[in-house]
Amino acid sequence: MLRIDNLYKKLGSFELTNINLNIEKDEYFIILGPTGTGKTVLLELIAGMYQPDKGSVWFGDTKISDLYPEQRNIGFVYQDYALFPHLTVKENIFFGIKCRGIDVNEGHRRFKEIVDFLNIEYLLDRFPSTLSGGEQQRTAIARALVTSPRILLLDEPLSALDPRTKQIFQEELRRIHDNLKTTTLHITHDFSEAMALGSQVGVLHNGEIMQVGKPMEVFRHPNSHFVANFVGAENIIEGNARGKTIEVCNNINIETIMEKTGPSTLTIRPEDIIISREKLFSSAQNNIPGKIINMIHQGPLYRVTVDAGVALTALVTMQAVEEMGLEKGDPVWVAFKSAAVHVL
Amino acid sequence: MEKSEVRGQNILFTAVISISIAFLTGFIILAISMVLLKGLPNIISSILSREIQFAVKLSFATSIISTLLCIAIAVPVSYGMSRLEFFGKRFVSTVLDIPIALPPIVSGVALLLLFGTTEFGHALAARGIQFIFTPLGIILAQFFVNVPYMIKVLGSTMNDIDPRMEFVARTLGCSRLQAFFKITLPLARSGLMAGIVITWARALGEFGAALMLAGATRLKTETLPVSLFLNMSCGDLKLALAAASILIIISVLSLFLFEIMGGKQYELSRSSLY
Repeated sequence: MLRIDNLYKKLGSFELTNINLNIEKDEYFIILGPTGTGKTVLLELIAGMYQPDKGSVWFGDTKISDLYPEQRNIGFVYQDYALFPHLTVKENIFFGIKCRGIDVNEGHRRFKEIVDFLNIEYLLDRFPSTLSGGEQQRTAIARALVTSPRILLLDEPLSALDPRTKQIFQEELRRIHDNLKTTTLHITHDFSEAMALGSQVGVLHNGEIMQVGKPMEVFRHPNSHFVANFVGAENIIEGNARGKTIEVCNNINIETIMEKTGPSTLTIRPEDIIISREKLFSSAQNNIPGKIINMIHQGPLYRVTVDAGVALTALVTMQAVEEMGLEKGDPVWVAFKSAAVHVL
Repeated sequence: MEKSEVRGQNILFTAVISISIAFLTGFIILAISMVLLKGLPNIISSILSREIQFAVKLSFATSIISTLLCIAIAVPVSYGMSRLEFFGKRFVSTVLDIPIALPPIVSGVALLLLFGTTEFGHALAARGIQFIFTPLGIILAQFFVNVPYMIKVLGSTMNDIDPRMEFVARTLGCSRLQAFFKITLPLARSGLMAGIVITWARALGEFGAALMLAGATRLKTETLPVSLFLNMSCGDLKLALAAASILIIISVLSLFLFEIMGGKQYELSRSSLY
């Protein structure tokens, strides 16, 4: 549906070189890349803020890179949401309806539908500066979706939110896509977002798309050293969820902050896992005994893998390794907070 | 350094700052109150005089018209200077600032030569657009001297407005023109208001350039500053100080308005309702 052909753009110090992408209708496509690789510029090129130096963007048979932004019918949500500060939430959402000259009755119907769907009725008379990050995001998404865009572009939509809100809005984005089926292009630097939401993921590095595929495919079979490193979200574990507990193997339960039922995948970042000799009595809700099966020296840190029923990798400082005298084969405890468990 | 010495230095430092502030504030109040003390008692009777009434009316009419002209030109110019990239932009920006750097009387001479001695000026005059020694000349002089200030105030406001706002508006279906009127201009409201107040107050007090171009003819091109000048010259202190007092009152009120409008962002002023 959306096709990007040999797109090239130089802007200031960085450039996008030879971008080729194909996004199918109804897909949730994630572009994954480190900060400063030109992800936002790519979205702005698609939406028409900039003209490409070379190459083109197509919607079906229409070359939209020749059109003005107002002719492209693309919904855009910036990382900081870019709500119009002088308009109320209601006026922000109605903005596109008026600009597109949508019939009054139809406009009100769509407005009501999206407001009900996103549960933002209570925000309508407020100004953006009085909203929380999550509320601003829902407003920005409502404003973009109310005009029924052909594609929704999301620029790092979850990165400005705290971890708990982030989990909630990740679910919200999934719900929006499942229900409205709007083709979505979402950019992020966080692989766990790609795992949780993406039907396809493209990895962007140095202005180039390195690999495109299903998230699990990219994770299992990275085609380059960079991709392998970048998506190296260790500790990806399958399990069965019952409320806030996920059983990952016989008698090993992991506590989370998200309620869920059924088969689930969870990730825990290595730096969130603490290793100790004795069981820790702390605020960490997850404490599991295990045995060190691998230790890799990595700069000032050790990457310690513990078999705790499932393999869990933790990052431990050299000082801590020396103080505890950790060796391969030693019995240890791993501890991590329930908030550190990311449920996909 | 001894402890007492350090203390002494600190006290001296604070004292110099405090005295400087107190001196300057007192000096300004003293100077202005001299005019007001002498001017205010006669202000009612002076306002009733035909001459002051004429000066007030002419000052208001010319300053309001020239301010409107400044808005009409400064809005597109400041927007363009803030948003567009073009060859020679720095040169253009410097040229636009020239009238600020020039003494107003020089600007007046320049305008006088342009409209008084060139074919262009003669052609306009032949069509009834006469700037030399007419109220129209006052308007033109005020416009020429003040439009850069309006551009400066508006330009800094435009620079503060995120260009992505307009872009988002365009993704929602607005043309550039609509996005400008629905998003950028409303967001520039506080800057525009501040620009209007400062431009109008300056136009009201404009003397040098207007004097050169429009002259100082009693009851013809007699604005408040010209009235002050003419009456001082012929020794009618009562009328002169009344004109000066009116100018002071208007200036202080404008400054006050400017502080209120320039100091508050539009967003804050509206959201504070909640």
